[in-house]
Amino acid sequence: MPIYLYIERTGVLHRLHPTVKVFALFVMFWSVYWVDHPLALLPLGLLMLAAAQSAGAWPNFYRLRWLFIMVILFTTLAWMIFYRRGPALVDLKIIHLSRASLLFGFGRGLKLAELLATSVLFLSTTKIEELAVGLSTLGVPYRAGFAITLAFRLAPLFMDSAVTVYQAQSLRGYDFNRGGPLERIRRYVPVIIPVFMGALRKANAMAMALEARGFGRISRPTSFIEYPLAARDLAAAILLLAIGAVYFMIYYTGYGAIALQ
Amino acid sequence: MITKPQAVEPAAAIVPAVSVENLGFTYHGSDRRALGGVSFVQARGEMIGIIGASGAGKSTLAKCLNRIIPEFEGGEFRGVVCVGGRRLDGMRVSEVAGAVGMVFQDFEAQLFSTNVAHEVAFAMEQAGMGREEMNARIGPALEAVGLAGFEHRDPTTLSGGEKQRLAIAAVLALGPDVIVMDEPTTDLDPEGKAEVFALIRKLRARGLSLLIIEHETGELRACDRLMLVRAGEIIADAPPAHLLTRLELLEECGVHPPELNQVLAALGITHHAPDVDHGESLLRGLIPDLPHGPGSRARSGAPRPAAAPAAAEKAARPLVEIEDLSFSYPGGPRVLDSVSLSIRPGEFIAIIGQNGSGKTTLAKQIVGLLRPEAGRVLIEGRDRTTLRPAETAQEVGYVFQNPDHQIFAATVEDEVAFGPRNFGLPPEEVERRCAEVLSAVGLERERDSDPFLLGKGERQRLAVASVLALRPRLLILDEPTTGLDYREQRRMMKLVSELNGAGIAIVIITHTPWLVAGYARRVVLMRRGRLLFDGPVREFFADEELLRGSSFRPPEVTTLGRRFGVVALTAAELVDWLRQYR
Repeated sequence: MPIYLYIERTGVLHRLHPTVKVFALFVMFWSVYWVDHPLALLPLGLLMLAAAQSAGAWPNFYRLRWLFIMVILFTTLAWMIFYRRGPALVDLKIIHLSRASLLFGFGRGLKLAELLATSVLFLSTTKIEELAVGLSTLGVPYRAGFAITLAFRLAPLFMDSAVTVYQAQSLRGYDFNRGGPLERIRRYVPVIIPVFMGALRKANAMAMALEARGFGRISRPTSFIEYPLAARDLAAAILLLAIGAVYFMIYYTGYGAIALQ
Repeated sequence: MITKPQAVEPAAAIVPAVSVENLGFTYHGSDRRALGGVSFVQARGEMIGIIGASGAGKSTLAKCLNRIIPEFEGGEFRGVVCVGGRRLDGMRVSEVAGAVGMVFQDFEAQLFSTNVAHEVAFAMEQAGMGREEMNARIGPALEAVGLAGFEHRDPTTLSGGEKQRLAIAAVLALGPDVIVMDEPTTDLDPEGKAEVFALIRKLRARGLSLLIIEHETGELRACDRLMLVRAGEIIADAPPAHLLTRLELLEECGVHPPELNQVLAALGITHHAPDVDHGESLLRGLIPDLPHGPGSRARSGAPRPAAAPAAAEKAARPLVEIEDLSFSYPGGPRVLDSVSLSIRPGEFIAIIGQNGSGKTTLAKQIVGLLRPEAGRVLIEGRDRTTLRPAETAQEVGYVFQNPDHQIFAATVEDEVAFGPRNFGLPPEEVERRCAEVLSAVGLERERDSDPFLLGKGERQRLAVASVLALRPRLLILDEPTTGLDYREQRRMMKLVSELNGAGIAIVIITHTPWLVAGYARRVVLMRRGRLLFDGPVREFFADEELLRGSSFRPPEVTTLGRRFGVVALTAAELVDWLRQYR
């Protein structure tokens, strides 16, 4: 299964300046952070669905559909156990089902799903190089930005390696599913060690290749790809600032919170 | 801007591309010097090949040329390296990038971008070059390596050969004084290898200074000079015509002596044959009545068949039966298409074909790591889909291409014991099997060693031992000689032959022609998921049309033999046949 989420399109979201895309990521995280009530989170969710439609990112959302469903379902259930406020509608001892726990749990689930959706949308519309440019414009040192983008590139290689190692050890009769939860984790040592050693070798080979191509020679390398700022970037930035401000106001005025009664 | 090293001499024409004086290096923590007092000069436009066994110091020498040693890998360094007339003392690796273009063996580890044009631009960005200048250089660099039109392709979608050519384009764009290639074709299939070597010849014709490290001598015959390295020293530095006829010295240094020269030497001809045509004309000069006849069998004295399958082998019930097997990975094209074959006890089969032809997928179907989409796989009559992979591990063993994909234990003995212990064998039986297989693979002295500190060849043999400890009746080895030098390849194949002699059926997936010709008895040729040929090895090499269409190049001695109308699989076999005419 391909692990890269980037979808080659020429829509408005794809054409936004990388810095604006990184800023959008930040604003979405910021906005989601301040509110708890599902109704307050709903507009952001709708905005993301519209953005997904515009960017043609549905295939990625479809691929991850079970993750979204599980995140919302399990978070809602989990908070019904730990968030024991408000008069109980149904008291099942472990699960405290009240209007407040239901709203709070569902709100938390929605929050996590929206954070996930923001990331999926970002990766569906942003190339690795654009991420580096975006981070660099926002003041992240070039080396740090490059390291982040390299991690995206290496992830599929390590996943492939982990699958191969798992297969190799299975073929030597190793049973990964024996024992309780802790024992099962411990039984992954024969996978972790070869993958880790392989990662070290790969990282060493990559570091050598990077240096040999002149990486680190100057602190701010030039950029081959040109990213001119357009009017749409300014409009998007203003819209994002407005969204961020509105959500802070919702928090500040208390509208985004969940009433216990 | 790229700042080219400043020439010391006033006239650039007389400044060598590279000059190395008394270069020595010892890695940290090692008491053995990796390089000891190496000196040489490479003229501009010269192409030098560096040959030698693994660990001889070839890669160490290459890394000294662009300061990876001592800047990146520390140790005791001495001597002087000059590139384009400028001493590199004290320079950082990145500062040398414009003068020394380095291409590594691992093509995956040297591509960093999501777009071919950007990949070429990467090094120029690091040099602070302007956008216009970059654009002006990208086109010619891609044109030179035959990747024009690929500008917007994602490098991960390229074939191995294309990726390596892209890596070469990326260094070409900087206009270096010398390009150093450290085993650039080791991980490539025959087609990829041919692509890269065709490019190397083209670059040489353009007058670039090239320094190529390779295990195989065949492709280095076009070099101006070859340097033979042993124990960190250059023990011979001569044109290919001189060095490649010193067969004993090459063998002694763990280098594969050219088989054409082996044939000539056995018949008393001390000349160098740079290609099959030359070899043929030398032999016809010596033995004028040699027959003509490509494609046909020998008119007389055909060589004995290379170990024809025994009658018992033919009659035995198949270990594996594959019936009309088809398979695709999710969302991908068909990787196996109606494949049918059977594997009997004691057989020695080579599965060959280009990368992506379905060889490894077929092997994974046999061991049960994948399930058929259509058709079925039977292991001793039982449907594979009803068995877990581990259930048949004691019948079918699979050694992965990279031994590092399975090694994890603290000692060699623990690594081998891992499989038998998983099957709950009693400790005394585990110990007995460890001793048995470690002796079989020649690692008995290493039983308490840390597997991660072993050499690549030893790790490969350890991987075989750890699968052998389960005593499978069929052993599948996926490219077991990739990355090994000639001596290690021979050792590995001797081991595999002995296992086959002991009754274990062998399936080997390989790209190496002389291994197929010299060891296998049956060839399975795959292309785009289909079986193109399944039959005796000699029949395969006799079918010229099939060979032409398969992109699998037969060993040169086989091609030479065919000029005389005989299908010879090894140099010794051809020599035996030729002797009849003397």
